[in-house]
Amino acid sequence: MAERGAAAQLRWAVFSILAIAVTMAFLFPIYWSFSQSLRNPLDTFTVAGFGIPWVNFEPTLGNWIDQVGTPETMHALYNSTVISIAAAILALLLGVPAAYAVARFQFRTWKNQDITIWFLSQRILPPVATVIPFYLIMRTFNLLDTHLALILINATFVLPFVVVILRQTFLELPVELEESALVDGASYWTAFWRVALPLAAPSMAATGLIIFAFSWNEFLFAVAISSQNVITIPVHIAGAVDTRGVQFWFMGVRAMVAVIPPVLIALIAQRYIVRGLTMGAVKG
Amino acid sequence: MRWTSRVRFLFLAPAVVWVLLFTIFPLGYSLFIAFNKIDQTTQVERVKEPVLDEAGQPVLDSKGRPRTKNVVVRNTVTTTEFVGLTNFKRLFTDPQVHEAIKVTLVFVLIAVPIELCLGFLIALLFNRPLMGRSTLRAIMILPIFATPIAMGYSFFTIFYEEGGPLAFTGIPWLSNPNWALFSVALVDIWQWTPFCFLVFLAALQGVPDELLEAARIDGASGPDILFKVLLPLLQPTIIIVLLLRIAEAVKLFDIPFALTGGGPGTATQSFSFLAFRTGLRFFDLGYASAMAYGLLAVVMVVVLLFFRRLRQSYG
Repeated sequence: MAERGAAAQLRWAVFSILAIAVTMAFLFPIYWSFSQSLRNPLDTFTVAGFGIPWVNFEPTLGNWIDQVGTPETMHALYNSTVISIAAAILALLLGVPAAYAVARFQFRTWKNQDITIWFLSQRILPPVATVIPFYLIMRTFNLLDTHLALILINATFVLPFVVVILRQTFLELPVELEESALVDGASYWTAFWRVALPLAAPSMAATGLIIFAFSWNEFLFAVAISSQNVITIPVHIAGAVDTRGVQFWFMGVRAMVAVIPPVLIALIAQRYIVRGLTMGAVKG
Repeated sequence: MRWTSRVRFLFLAPAVVWVLLFTIFPLGYSLFIAFNKIDQTTQVERVKEPVLDEAGQPVLDSKGRPRTKNVVVRNTVTTTEFVGLTNFKRLFTDPQVHEAIKVTLVFVLIAVPIELCLGFLIALLFNRPLMGRSTLRAIMILPIFATPIAMGYSFFTIFYEEGGPLAFTGIPWLSNPNWALFSVALVDIWQWTPFCFLVFLAALQGVPDELLEAARIDGASGPDILFKVLLPLLQPTIIIVLLLRIAEAVKLFDIPFALTGGGPGTATQSFSFLAFRTGLRFFDLGYASAMAYGLLAVVMVVVLLFFRRLRQSYG
């Protein structure tokens, strides 16, 4: 490799620049909203270049102060947080034991992989097919515009992720640990609760974060169910546009408020994302 | 070992019951709705009621008669009428449905191939030594998790034709029907190319170096390695990504909702969007359920096409 050192270095430099350019292009839309959120409304369309704060315009926190402090935004943040956390916990409670069952036990009439695919198939189901019956059912039980309705719905919709991701996690744990516990007279529940679960904790935490982000981003059901009390962040954004038209500077702030939590989660749970998004079909 | 205990059903039961209750039952209910015409009529009635004072006694007016006030009583009556296959038959003759199918199909045919190809190319790029590779990779993940509705509005400001950052191109991003659909696809491409990239990169990094080295020693050229070694090796991954992307893309809803509102006209009104509006804005619930079942049928066909492959990867 020594004689090709210079050529290899040049290639490394060229491809690095190319990769940086590609990455910047994908970051641009998020960056642009951020840049817009810092602009004085008068600067919206007059900013030159890439709209870099201090270089192309004088940044202000005015939009943030005006927007984030409003009762509507605070309420939406509260709703989104409560609903997403509760849905994640509920889905984990239901999904982790099921994942353990398909990973460890042997099912006969319906084979293990059939059960897994049955769970997985709900992820592929178009949500618009269940939104109308959900709306009618919630109306019947007087649950329209309640946190409970959205918690139940979001838990349902992230449940397959939990089953499929945690199944993979349990499969990768050494079964001998649980088996030796069983030999020592522990029950299956103890083997699961005391031996397998602590080892699966990091994966459970990452899965919890990922499904939190999915519930946070969910819009179709939220807009169908909520009218006043349980306006979530995505519905809040859409509603604000309906009444006032797109005010670019406030839009920037709201988009950032919506995007920052799930994006932070993406960074934290990086290692689990490939597995999470391919439903365990591809190991990342 | 003894992993056949009946306890297994106890572990599995909560999730299964939950799915039966919250997915299968609603789906069945939806089918029932699709065979019916559901009408909601609000009957507004004005009723004269006597005005009562704090003690509950009627308040009398100057002539000594009890004073009355008008009270508006709203009664929402829902009537359900069995209409057989009518709603499904309407699907075949409704131009709006045909338009929405066309929009969704064109969208899928533009977005998905570009996402896979672009994602693969970027994965090839990132599969070599690069400066700050893990940082760049982390940034590439961000679009996947960015709230679609928020990014839809964000892209609205980017595509804004008078003073937006892409205005210099002179392209009617959102005002021309064809361009508007392309813009919707572009947002989807922005959001999901990173997903394809990420999965392909993970798969590429699983390819043993010795294999590529051996191919090179045998005198294989770059394209040879790509088409005869890498693509066949990655085929299972590519199929899974293709399946997931198609199944996801036909559900298109959030982006046109935020970016174009389905317009101009109905140029970006996707099938899900139309079903949503029909059901929950115009409250033609039976017809909307029939539409949803149409979409469900299409997704089922896609899934069945890939089912065997899918079953293998969970074997």
